[in-house]
Amino acid sequence: MVSYVPGDLTLTVRGGTTLAEIGRVTGEHDQWLPLDPFGSDEGTIGATIATASAGPLATGFGLPRDLLLGLEFVNGRGEIVRAGGKVVKNVAGFDLSRLLTGSWGTLGVITEVTVRLYSRPKVDRTFAVPLGRGQKSTTELLRAVAASPLAPFALEILNGAAALSLGFGDNPTLLVRFGGNAPVVDAQLKAFSQLARTEEVEQSTWPALRKMDGDAASVIRISTLPTRFLTVASSILADTEPRIMISINPRRGIMRLVTQDDGDREPASIADPGISLDFPSDGEGAGTSVIFEKLPAEVWPVVSPSVASDPLSRGIKKAYDPHNILNPGILGH
Amino acid sequence: MILPSRSNASTVADRLAEIVGDRHVLSRPSELLVYNSDGLPGYRRQPRLAVFPGARDEAIAVVRLLADEGLPFVPRGAGTGLSGGSLADDIIVIGLHRLKDIISLDIENRRVTVEPGVVNLRLNKYVAPHGLLYAPDPSSEAACTIGGNVAENAGGPHCLKYGVTLNHVLAMTVVLPSGEVVELGSKFGEHDGYDLRGAFIGSEGCFGLALDITVKLTQRPQTVRTLLADFMSVDKAARVTSAIIASGIVPAALEFMDGPTIRVVEASIYAAGYPKDAEAVLLIELDGLEAGVSADLEVVRRVCIEGGARNVKVARDDVERLKLWQGRKKAFGAMGRLASHLIVQDAVIPRTRLSEILATIGAISKKYGVLVCNVFHAGDGNLHPNIAYNADDTDESERVHKAMTEIMNACIAAGGSITGEHGVGLDKMGYMESIFSDNSLNAMCELRGVFDPEHRANPGKVMPIHSCKEWNAVASAR
Ligand SMILES: Cc1cc2nc3c(=O)[nH]c(=O)nc-3n(C[C@H](O)[C@H](O)[C@H](O)COP(=O)(O)OP(=O)(O)OC[C@H]3O[C@@H](n4cnc5c(N)ncnc54)[C@H](O)[C@@H]3O)c2cc1C
Repeated sequence: MVSYVPGDLTLTVRGGTTLAEIGRVTGEHDQWLPLDPFGSDEGTIGATIATASAGPLATGFGLPRDLLLGLEFVNGRGEIVRAGGKVVKNVAGFDLSRLLTGSWGTLGVITEVTVRLYSRPKVDRTFAVPLGRGQKSTTELLRAVAASPLAPFALEILNGAAALSLGFGDNPTLLVRFGGNAPVVDAQLKAFSQLARTEEVEQSTWPALRKMDGDAASVIRISTLPTRFLTVASSILADTEPRIMISINPRRGIMRLVTQDDGDREPASIADPGISLDFPSDGEGAGTSVIFEKLPAEVWPVVSPSVASDPLSRGIKKAYDPHNILNPGILGH
Repeated sequence: MILPSRSNASTVADRLAEIVGDRHVLSRPSELLVYNSDGLPGYRRQPRLAVFPGARDEAIAVVRLLADEGLPFVPRGAGTGLSGGSLADDIIVIGLHRLKDIISLDIENRRVTVEPGVVNLRLNKYVAPHGLLYAPDPSSEAACTIGGNVAENAGGPHCLKYGVTLNHVLAMTVVLPSGEVVELGSKFGEHDGYDLRGAFIGSEGCFGLALDITVKLTQRPQTVRTLLADFMSVDKAARVTSAIIASGIVPAALEFMDGPTIRVVEASIYAAGYPKDAEAVLLIELDGLEAGVSADLEVVRRVCIEGGARNVKVARDDVERLKLWQGRKKAFGAMGRLASHLIVQDAVIPRTRLSEILATIGAISKKYGVLVCNVFHAGDGNLHPNIAYNADDTDESERVHKAMTEIMNACIAAGGSITGEHGVGLDKMGYMESIFSDNSLNAMCELRGVFDPEHRANPGKVMPIHSCKEWNAVASAR
């Protein structure tokens, strides 16, 4: 911990501080860093920023880049560089904080991070909705939620395999988390109950969902326009491939596919999502990006070079790490 | 710096006119006068030429022509900037106000793609019928452009809850100074690789021209409640601000105006009904779901009263709300009543230090015999001490500048930043070395060097030139 003044709702820590430690220290003051990347809280803040890892709470609180106020890193020449600052608003100089976020250790070693904190909500509750079974269709339900003034902290849809691993039976399930003062949570719950039959579940559902990645062979994230998920969600969820656990965040327009290990797959096929994604072709501007979060080491060089193949990215890499010593090979050569 | 010779300039003007049409190139000094300053009247620089592309392809062709000629240029939106960022010192201005199409609106996915010259408030009026809003709302919203907002990473009163421009821009198409066109970020979702979108936002015109910008829209809140709390002491209002933030409630906005500001506003056509004898008012807005807002409103009211507020008034309807806001949003305009020149600072301090720093500002203004008006985004700790003065009075100018330097140094010493939303531009370049090390400045220069290897886009801004090692090497080799 470098500095923490609770009244400022900002925190500065060394890069190797774990999210668990941050949670503990801020929790003593009824505050939190609402950043819950998939995996566990044993990960460090430096790695979380370097990989731009977000989790279900991104729905309510934004991505790592939105919570980051400043950082310090050591570039490939061994120079210490600081960017941003410790205050909540700052436009001094070019934005190296955003540049380092998601750079996977290829531009610098992140040694210090300053983040924005929030007050812990007075009430924080999670509800599960089994999909299908006499409920509104998934698409209809998601549209109704999107059109409502509901502002959930988190909203995730799980396929049968994922729901089963969390102990909800093998039915596709929607998880929703409401937080805030008591009246705001009550009002949301009331409005939400009119859209679907819900059942309250333990808050520990979230850490369990995040841990699903644990021993997976590959984790692939697919990102596209939120509405494109509305129409395909039902068919994706109907696909009952037990090896693939799927969660969809319809607000962010993100789907994660967590695939369990089965030793005999070819590297190229591991990088293949393994399910058909029949997004409606709605023409203009719509595209899909496939982002690899976790792959067996030997597969990585096959798929990752495309990540920073444009001349600007190459130029930045060359300027910050002229000898190519920072995580070499991860972006291809 | 590489400047066109006079004769050369006329041929460049002709060739620019071939691209955009005669009417959209200005070269006579009298016509260019209007472009010799931005929102900070203290700085004047006369451009050599001004060119106004009327379509995206024209803008690209203009940049390519300048690239071929090796000529430097300055992008300009509405010129409302408050750091001298869009000034062109005997070089070419590329004005983007004619690129003002709203290209596409996706209501269901809550995003819109616009050309850079679209005025912030116009975008908001355009999306309002769909129950949506574009959250970053600089007080200059009625005039400033989205392109200028992106270049400055603009904030505004409601950024306290909703975040600044950076948090709302998804993607943009940029023409680099070389003339190459690139897509940064992703219109349809999240993307992998370096966050070049993030790097471009706040680059103050030094990385190229934004040609189109895709931003997220926000659902209009169910309920909005606005409170005005007035105080007989600046200190009490500052402490109440810190107490509201520390309570964990995140108001949509929390704005501060001190006595001198209140009286200037009340004497102007923007009079909002603030109590003229108060030493400070806080304008606090809460929004969200009705149930939550009502509960928070009671907490905020109690914190204000317990902290010594004389009155807490809650606006009864939208008419009252908008009137309260008008005084705040037009406060800088109202300062025009005091004197011809205005200097505005934009430092940010930790929010627990407000009371102490405001006292320091008070002491500094007494010491130099200048009238500081404070009107600012208190919830973010983003100060805007400003002084209206007569620039022709050298003694007064000197006192004003000394006072401003001392205020800035006090904010830096408190662990703050030199600018929260207005940008470094010309105005704050001198302070960059007091908050960043040589290596940090050099790393920023290197990033700029990747986007603009020849340093032709908005040269001489943001980075003190001697802080760029590579650029120095080139210069000394000449
Ligand atoms: C009364 C008043 C109130 C204000 N209140 C606020 C406030 O609350 N919050 C806030 O953040 N700011 C505020 N400002 C400052 C200013 O309005 C903002 O900085 C705004 O974003 C500037 O937009 P503009 O279109 O006027 O840009 P300009 O002033 O024309 O340009 C600003 C910078 O952007 C660059 N630029 C412009 N367009 C482009 C483009 N398309 N591509 C690349 N670079 C470009 C220019 O080169 C320049 O460096 C205020 C100003 C005034 C006068």
